[in-house]
Amino acid sequence: MTARAGLFRPAGLLLAALVLAGCAGGNVGQRAELQIVQAMGAAAQKAAAGKPPDRPPLTREALKTVTISAIEVTLERRGVQAYLFLDTVRRDDGPGLITVWRSEDNATLATRNGVVIATRGLGNDLLSSSVPVRGDSPGPAGSGEHVQMISGLDNKELRLALECELRDLGPEPVEIVELVHPTRRLQERCEGPGGGIINDYWVDDRSGIVWQSRQWAGPGIGYLRIRRLVNRPIGRN
Amino acid sequence: MTIERPFPGRTAAGAVLGGLLAAMSAADPATAQEREPGYMPPFAAPVPPSLNFYGSPGLMDMPSAEMLPDGQFTTGISYFGGNGRIGLTFQGMPWLSASFRYAGIRKLNLYGFSTYYDRAFDVRLRLLQEGRWRPGVTMGLQDFAGTGFFSGEYLVATKGFDTPRWGGGQQPGRLKVTAGIGWGRLGSHGSLGSTGRRPSFVGGSTGGQLSWDQWFRGPFALFGGLEWAPNARWGFKAEYSSDDYVTETQTSSVFRKRSPFNFGVEYQATPRTRLGAYYMYGSEVGITLQTQLNPRHPPMPMAPPAPKPVVPRPAPERAPQVWSTAWAAAPGAGAALRDRLAPELAAEGLLLEALSVGAESAELRFRNRRYGSYANAIGRAARAMARVMPASVETFRLIPVVEDMALSATELRRSDLEALEFDGQAAQALLSVTGIADAGPQPANAVRAEGLYPDFGWSVVPYTSPAYFDPSKPLRMDVGLDLTATFRPAPGWLMVGMLRQRIAGNVKGGRPSNSVLPHVRTDQNLYAQYGTTIENLYVARQWRAGPDLYARLTAGYLESMYGGLSGEILWKPVNSPLALGVEANYVRQRAYDQRFGFRDYSVLTGHASAYLEFGDGYLARIDAGRYLAGDWGATFGFDRVFDNGFRVGAFFTLTNVSAADFGEGSFDKGIRFSIPVSWFLGKPSTRSVGTTIRPIQRDGGQMVRVPGRLYGQVRAAHRKALRDQWARVWQ
Repeated sequence: MTARAGLFRPAGLLLAALVLAGCAGGNVGQRAELQIVQAMGAAAQKAAAGKPPDRPPLTREALKTVTISAIEVTLERRGVQAYLFLDTVRRDDGPGLITVWRSEDNATLATRNGVVIATRGLGNDLLSSSVPVRGDSPGPAGSGEHVQMISGLDNKELRLALECELRDLGPEPVEIVELVHPTRRLQERCEGPGGGIINDYWVDDRSGIVWQSRQWAGPGIGYLRIRRLVNRPIGRN
Repeated sequence: MTIERPFPGRTAAGAVLGGLLAAMSAADPATAQEREPGYMPPFAAPVPPSLNFYGSPGLMDMPSAEMLPDGQFTTGISYFGGNGRIGLTFQGMPWLSASFRYAGIRKLNLYGFSTYYDRAFDVRLRLLQEGRWRPGVTMGLQDFAGTGFFSGEYLVATKGFDTPRWGGGQQPGRLKVTAGIGWGRLGSHGSLGSTGRRPSFVGGSTGGQLSWDQWFRGPFALFGGLEWAPNARWGFKAEYSSDDYVTETQTSSVFRKRSPFNFGVEYQATPRTRLGAYYMYGSEVGITLQTQLNPRHPPMPMAPPAPKPVVPRPAPERAPQVWSTAWAAAPGAGAALRDRLAPELAAEGLLLEALSVGAESAELRFRNRRYGSYANAIGRAARAMARVMPASVETFRLIPVVEDMALSATELRRSDLEALEFDGQAAQALLSVTGIADAGPQPANAVRAEGLYPDFGWSVVPYTSPAYFDPSKPLRMDVGLDLTATFRPAPGWLMVGMLRQRIAGNVKGGRPSNSVLPHVRTDQNLYAQYGTTIENLYVARQWRAGPDLYARLTAGYLESMYGGLSGEILWKPVNSPLALGVEANYVRQRAYDQRFGFRDYSVLTGHASAYLEFGDGYLARIDAGRYLAGDWGATFGFDRVFDNGFRVGAFFTLTNVSAADFGEGSFDKGIRFSIPVSWFLGKPSTRSVGTTIRPIQRDGGQMVRVPGRLYGQVRAAHRKALRDQWARVWQ
């Protein structure tokens, strides 16, 4: 508390300001100004770094070295693609098998028999949903109501009810990185307040896997394109 | 500083905030409206009406009957023919909006000023909501309490019609027809008649009183206009103005008025920014910049990193050994669990303060350093507990703590956490089986975190300190750096010191005080003469004084202008919307250089306070007691607090100081807002930026700014806030 204005010249002071501003240590809660300065710094850094380099194209050879199950998820609206790895597999009192996938930057996607039921870390997330799945059959098991709880407004959740009709479009194999899977295509046409959406699932009844899908994860996120790149037995995850 | 000040006064980062708001609205491109479900409110931000030159919904100078979407917060900047205005409008309720406006009129050359500056408040009430056939009708009081330079009252009706669309987009065009009748300024051109006599405007008077004797008095006239928005981007406006600008164009010659008709075109540059260009009164070019925010629709959606899923325990019949309770009897079991839990919590931005475990239940006391929403913090703490606690621990009590004050206890069952995480109604289902109650005293078997005390922290951050509305320079600002150190020798004890170094600024050139009261606040320019100051330096002790009771004692240099002793007691049951508090302070005015010295003025000041939360985020507050100048009276505050922490409010203080002694403004009043950092960064944070704006800073009705007032620390962790934000619990 002995610093005196007279000891500093304005230029030196400015320099000190630039060096010091936005520093902190210990268990102080970060002041708002500090958080803003740091966020601006991070944004500037990101802008300076430019676009990340394109990922090399996937090959089956490379995927063979991946030891845990993985999916590729594309957020259509943002044009962003990410690889998500298996985080958790579990059951609860509801039908079907719950699978949680996690990206490197800590976003997660949860599915029930391959139908998206929740997202985290994306913003305007799908907080929870009721979906018509049954037993171990992959994808939706019938027509009916699809209720989504959407994160929105000021820390609220908003209910969005979709009335869905399921159609079986018959066999339609999909190729995912050099591998062709013997899938059937299921299509859900859903009507909700103000509009409609279409979910497509390419399911393999024998393995019980949804190999590929395009699903709508609520008004905040829009459509997700999901491909199962790697499938490893659960015991070896 | 870990004590949050909801409305930091002089440290407010007003300018920083303005820049940020402008930047983010520019960075947010208009999203194409797709015909997916939920493209409309409440999922997507509502499309608001455009603003007029006064910053209210309307045409150019004339208002319309439209209300903004509930909670909307707008800034309108306009200029034409020497008339510059900046207005803030807040739609506090769906049927009520209030505006504060600062206007400058160049070359008015009246009342002793070349450029005349005026501050004014408006209020608008919806009388009739627009229906399919009927128009909306709104009553407005413009400049109802200022000097009355802009005063005018009106009744206005607006009806919208769909039109064919023109240009891009999927929405149809919209034509809005407005017609109204105005008094005062709005009855000055083409008067049809008169209702009584209107007392005339007295330039240079103190103002500030409600000018109810003027309302709807004197000549009245009709006005009207059209607004056509052929698509989401463009808007065209035409109006017939009933404002004759008598003072500006006849008494003085600010501009030449040749026609009552005004025309304009507006462009929605971003979802939050609208630009307008106009041809005004047959002679002048006008421009506007309108920005609109809705607290419920942040520019960056909140996206905390995804939590780790709860892993269910194996069924007891399949793994009975896992469910054994023998561990609880082992010596050091609590300490061992604490040491495993602390890093799990730290990774979530939570600090373990104390843990007490039994064979079947565990109580965690923790400090929340990251989440503005306590529901989020409690959810993360519960997940961490589920990862660490032995299987037999079924009940979790989660207690957030601030400076050793346990705020509330959320009690939930671990099996519910396991069963409900992926339920279709996960949040509501968990809430229905969760108990929220007073924390109570710490159990005897609690093990405290080791190495947490003594706790030293420091930070260096930039500050801005504005001074508003000096007629010679409407905005003065100091900027510099704050070096803050905090030291917690033991739980509940907090020592803080803040050294402030100004780098640049012009607050020191402000007006000297002309107050006849003790200069308890108006010597700001004298305090601003010094570059290196001790902003504060104090010791605070906080504790739980009993069930539902919170207590604080603070001693030292409390703020830049006062030092002394402050004590406070707050009664706030966890489940009660009502809180009552008492605060007493003995303070002495600090020397202008803001080092260790004092001036020769001391006062005993204090208040009894009542706080009431009601409805959808309304917070009313009354403080009655003695103020810094020794005056007695009460402060009435009303705030809208959104569940994400965004806060907008207004207050006024009436004391036994006469309007004449008080000076300009007649009594103390102002508006305040506070925006959580998380609102524009999209990341969790406990911090906010904001400011309090008074039309004029005088000495009557002033309180000492004590750091760490209790109510702001307590409310957010109580039942109403937790329940209202419960959607965050699983995030």
